[in-house]
Amino acid sequence: MIIGCRMKGETALLPESLRPMELTVGTVTPGSLDDQVLKFPEQRPPARWYAALAFTSAVMLLGFSLIGYTIYTGIGVWGNNRPVFWAFDIINFVFWVGIGHAGTLISAILFLFRKRWRNAIARFAEAMTIFAVMCAGIFPLIHVGRPWLAYWLFPYPNQRGPIWTNFRSPLLWDVFAVSTYFSVSLMFWYLGLVPDFASMRERATSRLRKGLYTVLSMGWRGAATHWKHYEKAYLLLAGLATGLVLSVHSVVSFDFAVSLVPGWHMTIFPPYFVAGAIFAGFAMVVLVLVVVRKTMGLQNLITDNHLDVMNRVILGMSCLMGYSYVMEGFTAWYSSNEYLHHGFRNILFGTYGWAGWLTITCNILLPQLLWFKKLRRSIPAMVFVSLAVTAGMWFERFVIIVISLHQDFLPSSWHLYKPTLVDFGILFGSFGLFFTLVLLFARVLPVIATTEVKAILPGAQRRHEGGVL
Amino acid sequence: MTGPRFWKTLGTRRDSFGEFPPGAQEPPPPPGEADPSRRRFLALTGASAALAAGVACAPSSDGGLVVPYAKKPEEVVPGVANYYASAFQEGEAVHGVLVKTREGRPIHVEGNDAWPLAPGAAHFRATADLLGLYDPDRVRAPQVEGRQAAWPQALDRLAAALREARASGKPVLLMTPALLSPARRALLGDLQRALPTLRVAPWEPAADHAGRAARKALYGGALAVRPRFDRAKVILALEADFLGALPGAPEAIAGFAQGRRPAGPGGAMSRLYAAEGVMTLTGSKADLRFPVRPSSLAALGFALAKALAARGAVLPAGFDPAALAPFDLAAWAAAQKVAPASLDHLVADLAAAGREGLVLAGPSLPPEAHAAAALLNGLLGAEGCTLDLSASPAAELISPAEMEELRVQAASGAFAAALFWEANPLHASPDPQGWAKALARVPMCARLGLHRDETAAACGLLLPIHHWLESWNDFDPREGLLALQQPAVGPLHDTRQAEEVLLTLLRALGGDAPADYHAYLQARWRREVYPAGSPVSFEGFWNACLHDGVLAHEAAPAAARALDGEAVSAFARSAAASAPSGHELLLYADAKTWDGRYANNGWLQELPDPVTKNTWGNPVSLSPGDARRLGLSDGDVVRVDLAGETLLAPALVQPGQAEGVLGLALGYGRSAGSVASGVGLNGWPLAGARGLLRLGAALVGTGERAPLARTQEHHDLLGRDIVRLWTLAEYAEKAEGAAKETFPTLYPPQEFPDHKWGMAIDLSACVGCSGCVVACQSENNVPVVGPEQVRRGREMHWIRVDRYYEGPAEAPRTVHQPMVCQQCDDAPCENVCPVQATNHSPDGLNQMAYNRCVGTRYCANNCPYKVRRFNFFDFTSALPEPLDLAFNPEVTVRPRGVMEKCTFCIQRIQNARQTAKGEGRSVRDGEIVPACAAACPARAIVFGDLKDPRSAVSKLSRSDRGFKVLAELGVKPSVTYLADLRNPSDGGKV
Repeated sequence: MIIGCRMKGETALLPESLRPMELTVGTVTPGSLDDQVLKFPEQRPPARWYAALAFTSAVMLLGFSLIGYTIYTGIGVWGNNRPVFWAFDIINFVFWVGIGHAGTLISAILFLFRKRWRNAIARFAEAMTIFAVMCAGIFPLIHVGRPWLAYWLFPYPNQRGPIWTNFRSPLLWDVFAVSTYFSVSLMFWYLGLVPDFASMRERATSRLRKGLYTVLSMGWRGAATHWKHYEKAYLLLAGLATGLVLSVHSVVSFDFAVSLVPGWHMTIFPPYFVAGAIFAGFAMVVLVLVVVRKTMGLQNLITDNHLDVMNRVILGMSCLMGYSYVMEGFTAWYSSNEYLHHGFRNILFGTYGWAGWLTITCNILLPQLLWFKKLRRSIPAMVFVSLAVTAGMWFERFVIIVISLHQDFLPSSWHLYKPTLVDFGILFGSFGLFFTLVLLFARVLPVIATTEVKAILPGAQRRHEGGVL
Repeated sequence: MTGPRFWKTLGTRRDSFGEFPPGAQEPPPPPGEADPSRRRFLALTGASAALAAGVACAPSSDGGLVVPYAKKPEEVVPGVANYYASAFQEGEAVHGVLVKTREGRPIHVEGNDAWPLAPGAAHFRATADLLGLYDPDRVRAPQVEGRQAAWPQALDRLAAALREARASGKPVLLMTPALLSPARRALLGDLQRALPTLRVAPWEPAADHAGRAARKALYGGALAVRPRFDRAKVILALEADFLGALPGAPEAIAGFAQGRRPAGPGGAMSRLYAAEGVMTLTGSKADLRFPVRPSSLAALGFALAKALAARGAVLPAGFDPAALAPFDLAAWAAAQKVAPASLDHLVADLAAAGREGLVLAGPSLPPEAHAAAALLNGLLGAEGCTLDLSASPAAELISPAEMEELRVQAASGAFAAALFWEANPLHASPDPQGWAKALARVPMCARLGLHRDETAAACGLLLPIHHWLESWNDFDPREGLLALQQPAVGPLHDTRQAEEVLLTLLRALGGDAPADYHAYLQARWRREVYPAGSPVSFEGFWNACLHDGVLAHEAAPAAARALDGEAVSAFARSAAASAPSGHELLLYADAKTWDGRYANNGWLQELPDPVTKNTWGNPVSLSPGDARRLGLSDGDVVRVDLAGETLLAPALVQPGQAEGVLGLALGYGRSAGSVASGVGLNGWPLAGARGLLRLGAALVGTGERAPLARTQEHHDLLGRDIVRLWTLAEYAEKAEGAAKETFPTLYPPQEFPDHKWGMAIDLSACVGCSGCVVACQSENNVPVVGPEQVRRGREMHWIRVDRYYEGPAEAPRTVHQPMVCQQCDDAPCENVCPVQATNHSPDGLNQMAYNRCVGTRYCANNCPYKVRRFNFFDFTSALPEPLDLAFNPEVTVRPRGVMEKCTFCIQRIQNARQTAKGEGRSVRDGEIVPACAAACPARAIVFGDLKDPRSAVSKLSRSDRGFKVLAELGVKPSVTYLADLRNPSDGGKV
């Protein structure tokens, strides 16, 4: 075994463009990797971590108290009205479900495609998936008029008739899609964590910590049979999750596509929503990782190369989004449907036309900056683009939901929508929850899957051309 | 008895040798034990204990307040409604009504089918005034100087003051509502005899004072005017909103609608011309509408008279033809920017219609315009055909000028006492503030009213009276017509009927009077109405009249009345002399709050104005041209300067309003009442005694904003085929295609085994009056949400009347479309509900199970008609007592977070089906009438079974005018609309 040695001569023979991406910087050994990554849960966090946590949890508490106020008083404290019966509630839901998709794509699809660069960021991205789905899950629950009866959406044996749920309703499909998504993501994530928990168990000095990690590692000893089963299970779950990447947001898009609201009733919605979700998710992953690798000193593991390749995904998705927008417009025009024509004109020239232009600017125009390699590797540039994409994707859902609803068939019922402070408070509260969970995760669990990164350290595996990397 | 027992008939045998004699199933009692048996005793004891336990464990959400009848009243069957015929008086109009009561409390007011003026059609304000009965603001006991007092104590004070006045010879003022009741008039006559200094002043601020003044000069006396729209072929309305705000609207709508349903293409149809400054409901239904300055309408009338005279119509005797010289149609058309050709059509139509023509002038216009209208009707010979004039049985109302005299008199300390019976001069009079000052100079002021309103606040004595639903009375709105008002409920509070208070005073003044008004009324009827020598006893006669609510007999045909030609000439000369300048402010009684008396009624405040769709307030309406010029838009606060007076109000840009004209509804700006106070502003002081049209107004924007609370914010159809407005010519062209419209579908047709309920709405008959909205609100416990929620688009009405404009904003075409749940066969709301809270019934109804609703609101998003309503807050559980009594017990009161919508009044469907089932037959066509259809004076809404090809609704659904809204979506709505027809004179454009 020649782990840790760089066989420079071999790769140097290849032209630069064909050389495999360098996935670590400097010398990284399995031991140094463990020390670097696993030390965080063993140390007291710095003061700035506490400051950040105090801020995010305060925002989260604000959000939760406003949710409590809503449940106590009624949905009327939001800006929702007739005809805009859905607004921030469903925008936030779709937004957060979308954010989660990057994690699953990275951990599942890129795993199956053997994209080795995903190993360093998969753990964090998966964690973000789970937190995002938790944020998303709040909204369908609190947006109903009588949240205390929301469990009626689950088809369980009951004594009310029994009354069954309506399997024709896309909202019910949502219930299944999102709960499946959450449970599979959680299992996948936990499975990946088991070897790391075992490493932490071995490193633990205090009894408490040792006991905790003993339980969490579920008896992992690193035996060859463990690895064999682990790899098989990981592969199977990756296969399962791959389907979910495509299905969850497709199902979410059915909420709209299956209805007859002009602007919702579009066949392009499922792929368009999936692309949008991956797009928004990658932007969020870039945003978080840029901060994480700087504050936690992980630049050698999450390298500029990683950021570069993620920015390429963002660019690719942006182009797909652009295609979808154009196709949406074409479909609207080609339909010769006056309601659809009106709805599409509204996106650009209606009262909320600014939101339409903002969406196009943030999602289509600004990401084009990433064609330039220099900008793909520039932290300020990618933070700017990712922030734009995050905002743009939120506004895209605003465009779809609010603009379509506020002017549909009968002009007599048209009404403008105006959010209230409670709406904004709950939106910010969901960000507070997300970042609180991210902060806790960063200090409590291994932020990088050490076992997986060990597998891609230079020289760890044979190359198909021969030699080692 | 021993020996064989013989039987003679089969009956005897059955009785004596029955197979199952009573008690046979029980074991024979052991010897020596008396019946009932021990077993039976134990069984009964056990059953009683179980029942007691069951009752004790039952959830008692009523806190033990509801107890079953110990002694059941004869007429009350729990769960079965009782109906009482009654009558509702409002100003100079009386409406026959039917009051629906459940377990002794009124829950709904509908029209009385026996009412001859407008069978089955009550004014929606009568329906809405049910809420007035249960108004929590009602005064519940007499008050003396603000402190609660007993009735004898309060009445003694008043009687003492009156006796003192009689002794000193100082006058006593009694302000009353319009005296349309013979018994009331008799009582006041008795009172006047006992107290000779009594000055009775019937004050109705919103009465047609200008028309009354003109008719007095022209005909020499007070007249009751009854236009007969059912007979009119050509109608010219001069600022006369007979379909909207005027009190006789139900009769007018019913008559007008008769002329608006041609049998087919080429059928006969009446033609309505409207010349008006503000956009009224009548103008919105007009075949041709001239938006012009109201001050020019007298000139139009006289110019038309001149044109008609030129065509050979005979001017009245004594009329000076020279008085018509200054008027010229062509000059008028040029000045008012009206196409001269359309005026030529008008003249030709009027001349051709002759006595089937009708010209009306609105109460906001000056007497000159009324004189012109009277002259035109005279030239047409309308009287006796389209216009009935008869001597008014009511006592003369006092005019605003006389009202001012009274105020001056009161301010000078002339009155020893003043009694205000319902009339509220401190809000609705030419000078409300002046009255407040004047009352300080009256030693004894008493208020006979329902509320602690503006006038009550200035009176030392507050005597709370019965609501009309608690009262006895009779009315004679026309010659030959008597109506009876009877209580539908016992008094809710410690109140007395106003007439009873007067009877007490009469006795205190030494008069001879029975103790209660019921006896007084009956005595008068026995004396005056009961036909002498009738074979029916008086009790039988009286009960029959009470049952019907009305007693009509043939009145002698009124003798034709001659117009005083000289008086008309004088009016014409005065009309020629007027030279308007600046903006004109047109004040008019509101269609909802009327003179302001209903301002405390949440149903009416939240009822969208039929034209502007504004709720909760009275903005100043102005023309689109003026708004453009001044840079104003809806909700901008404007200042109107009127010779020293200013008015600050939000603006409402009204399509179709004439340039230079401002409109303001009266009846707002109350300062008393938990609902009324602070809503809108009071226009009565602006009217003063000068009439309701004020000239020389100046308008400026203030830069401030006061957003309006409107239920409809977009008024343009954008060319969408949602509602069809055809001329008669277009009808002939398009009739063929409309009935055959079908759209492809992937779904198999729905099957309905027994019935398939459906509705047809004739847009040509519908005038948009919005009576259906009020009726639905009352019937279906629809909550009131308040202006803030209306602004947010959260009003709860289950039926709304959409009003669209088409064409230029200066002179748009207007169409009204009542929109209810369309009960689609393939309802898009049903498949998206995740919990199946909304689903389809076997008789074609789209049902809503409130219990099951979780409130995802997906159904409402997916409803293309947007008829679903969501309870964004808890709108129902915190209602102040006794408002909760107004709820209809047949309809669930919906909690927070639940979706609701029109059910086609499923409770009425079920009631009719139960009745039919009990009688062993199927439901008859027309037996089920939803609240909206029952309230429609035009009978534009027809409900029934679409499975029965002979039902009225089936026939209408097959009409060549029929269309379905958004049929192309394939949701298969159950409501068919019939195209709105217009009959413009040139056969082309509307």
